Amino acid sequence: MTQSRIVKEFFQKEIQELKAAHLFKEERYILSPQSPVLTVEYPPGAPVKELLNFCANNYLGLSDHPEVLKAAAEGLKKRGYGMSSVRFICGTQDIHKELEARLSDFLGMEDTILYTSAFDANGGVFEALLGEEDVILSDELNHASIIDGIRLCKAHRHRYKHLDMADLEQCLRQSQDKRFRMIVTDGVFSMDGELARLDILTTLAERYDAILLVDDSHATGFIGPNGRGTHEHHGVMGKVDLITTTFGKALGGASGGCVSGSRVFIDVLRQRSRPYTFSNTLAPVVVAGTLKALELLGQSHKLRDKLMENTAYFRRRISEIGYTIIEGIHPIVPIMLHDAKVVQEISRELYNEGIYVIGFSYPVVPKDKARIRVQISAAHERHQLDKALELFKIIGEQFGVIRT
Amino acid sequence: MAYSEKAKGFYQNELTTIRQGGLFKEERYIESPQAANITVEFPKGAAQKQVINLCANNYLGLSSHPDVVKAAHAGLDSRGYGLSSVRFICGTQDIHDELERKISEFLGMEDTILFPSCMEANAGMFEVMLDKNDAMIADRLVHASIVDGMRLCKAQLFNYKHSNMAHLEEKLQETQQCRFRLIITDGVFSMDGDIVKLDEICDLADKYDAMVMVDDSHATGFIGKRGRGTHEHCGVMGRVDVITTTLGKALGGATGGCLSSRKEIVDLCRQRARPYLFSNSLPPPVVAASIRVIELISKTTDRRDKLERNTKYFRERMIKAGLDIKEGESPIVPVMLYNAKLAQDVARDLFQEGIYVVGFFFPVVPAGAARIRTQISADHEIEHLDKAIAAFTKIGAKYNILGKKKDEVIAMYGL
Repeated sequence: MTQSRIVKEFFQKEIQELKAAHLFKEERYILSPQSPVLTVEYPPGAPVKELLNFCANNYLGLSDHPEVLKAAAEGLKKRGYGMSSVRFICGTQDIHKELEARLSDFLGMEDTILYTSAFDANGGVFEALLGEEDVILSDELNHASIIDGIRLCKAHRHRYKHLDMADLEQCLRQSQDKRFRMIVTDGVFSMDGELARLDILTTLAERYDAILLVDDSHATGFIGPNGRGTHEHHGVMGKVDLITTTFGKALGGASGGCVSGSRVFIDVLRQRSRPYTFSNTLAPVVVAGTLKALELLGQSHKLRDKLMENTAYFRRRISEIGYTIIEGIHPIVPIMLHDAKVVQEISRELYNEGIYVIGFSYPVVPKDKARIRVQISAAHERHQLDKALELFKIIGEQFGVIRT
Repeated sequence: MAYSEKAKGFYQNELTTIRQGGLFKEERYIESPQAANITVEFPKGAAQKQVINLCANNYLGLSSHPDVVKAAHAGLDSRGYGLSSVRFICGTQDIHDELERKISEFLGMEDTILFPSCMEANAGMFEVMLDKNDAMIADRLVHASIVDGMRLCKAQLFNYKHSNMAHLEEKLQETQQCRFRLIITDGVFSMDGDIVKLDEICDLADKYDAMVMVDDSHATGFIGKRGRGTHEHCGVMGRVDVITTTLGKALGGATGGCLSSRKEIVDLCRQRARPYLFSNSLPPPVVAASIRVIELISKTTDRRDKLERNTKYFRERMIKAGLDIKEGESPIVPVMLYNAKLAQDVARDLFQEGIYVVGFFFPVVPAGAARIRTQISADHEIEHLDKAIAAFTKIGAKYNILGKKKDEVIAMYGL
């Protein structure tokens, strides 16, 4: 045995510490497709239970949409299962180019490059475009994949205070000696459901000659009147230089991501971006499914509008019940309970009553900001929202956490 | 527009430099499933052409195997298209657990954790296992994704010369004061096709109390008598601590990767590996098809045996035809041309002959070591291989390189 006992005991102890600190993450086995009603076995071996799901990124309900399923099956039939190649060797099909063109149209950008995931897109975009002569100005609450991408890049870095435009402006002023400046932000911050102020960010980018990159993973498909994203919402389409986003949330939720931007950026990424050069091309089934998702969104606003109605309804009613939420328009609805233990107990009670939500506490969110993050979907029906609201009311009263 | 002319000019200039250096990578549009015969449009707008594909990682011919496609369809039907979630929120289905167990059994490891890609498995694991008190001792030629994973980890980095066991031992002696040491290697090195000396590495690991990590992406499914990988080939199953591998090559080739290891290391990766916590769960059709693949290759070694026969046949006849082949036994068969332009010219002419191969040159391989990397598949029939060998012979004669040694080719074409 190569691995010594010391190593084994070390890692076993790490696990025990996580469990003792209530930070151990458990997985629940779902026996059904992703949809508002799930069949779950938890803990393993327990009887199978039906749950209403309020914790998926299935914003538009496309993860199990019959049209998307049909298109995916067609893709499998016509273009096979896997490509067993990176893009530039023998992993580019006609449908990969078609998807890139459709995404560019949808997002209003010049060109698009596909990645295995948005995680990889963020992992590969910075290093390929920036060097040690440059600086990255990044919102302190940006997603982990952006942080990792920046860690892999030699550019200087400043973290500006979350959504603090004055702090950002100061950073911009102080970095005028650098060759290029890149402002990096999430379009929507996943823990709070807040939108970045792209209206101000684009103005600052122009004023200080900076490149602006937005990760719109929690926005593409449903934020903005046509669902194009936070740039549409803020009326600044055409003024954002780079958008990274995912197909793993609203756009069907299977896998894959992309970077959209000016053609010259995308051309450079194709030559140099390491996750693009060294990781597999997207599987045909996912390309075909994502193409259909975009086609559906191009045809009608119905899903997006229903999502926004559902969201407005849930936000209004949960506040009326007496919960404190972070105000906003986004289908991410953070219900603030502050205390980690209360969050865990209430989410467990809700689970027992058939409502599947997840609590978030430190270190994912600040210590006194523990919360239950509810995510609304266009696939939810009104009676499902009502059932969740009713149970939130009953359990909230039991725990004495709602305003009277 | 925030994107200034200055930036635009800079990036345009970079692209021009890449083109002028003959290093620009072009993509060819394939209009069929991945297989021995594919339909290609290249350059864009040209008439479609049927070619024999000799450059896919489709080692076992499972990328469009009817049973695999059928299983993917069944997965779509029973478990849906996407999960729109990471694993620990609401992205774990029963089939994810089943696939992890099947892979553990196949590789002979305690436990397995899936990732969206092997790139992400390699990017995430080092940071979980090691910190600044530890040492990473890596072969100089390990894959880019391992390099990136090591860049994200605070442990001290040591490199040893490619497959040089004496140099590895030196590094192990130098790092005795570190808390943990991890020896890091590819199982099969993708550019040369050579197999790691895993038996010797495991002996050294025992002697110096180090752990061993192998990326078996170019081995899982076909290297070793039962296709378990380089640890089987080298007779050290059970002695390797961490195996990372991909579902994106021999195992159907769609997407996804995994890490197989000791239980506690897998457990900790589930808690802490950033690409696992922050990237999507594998989609159901891919999980379902991968389960089927593991079943197929556990049941019979037919495809793996055919691949071995094909490889032997191709290697022998290419050498006989006078081409300069890197010796070895893996289905990665590099045809050495040394000069970057020559490699690209030969690849282009072969495409005209109906053989799809790609030239590799600096910085993917060292300068002066340009080559065409051919990859053999169990999907190839003898007539595919004969056609390819005939085309290589014809084009080799055109450039007068048949039977020529390295020095003679370099004398004719330069480095």
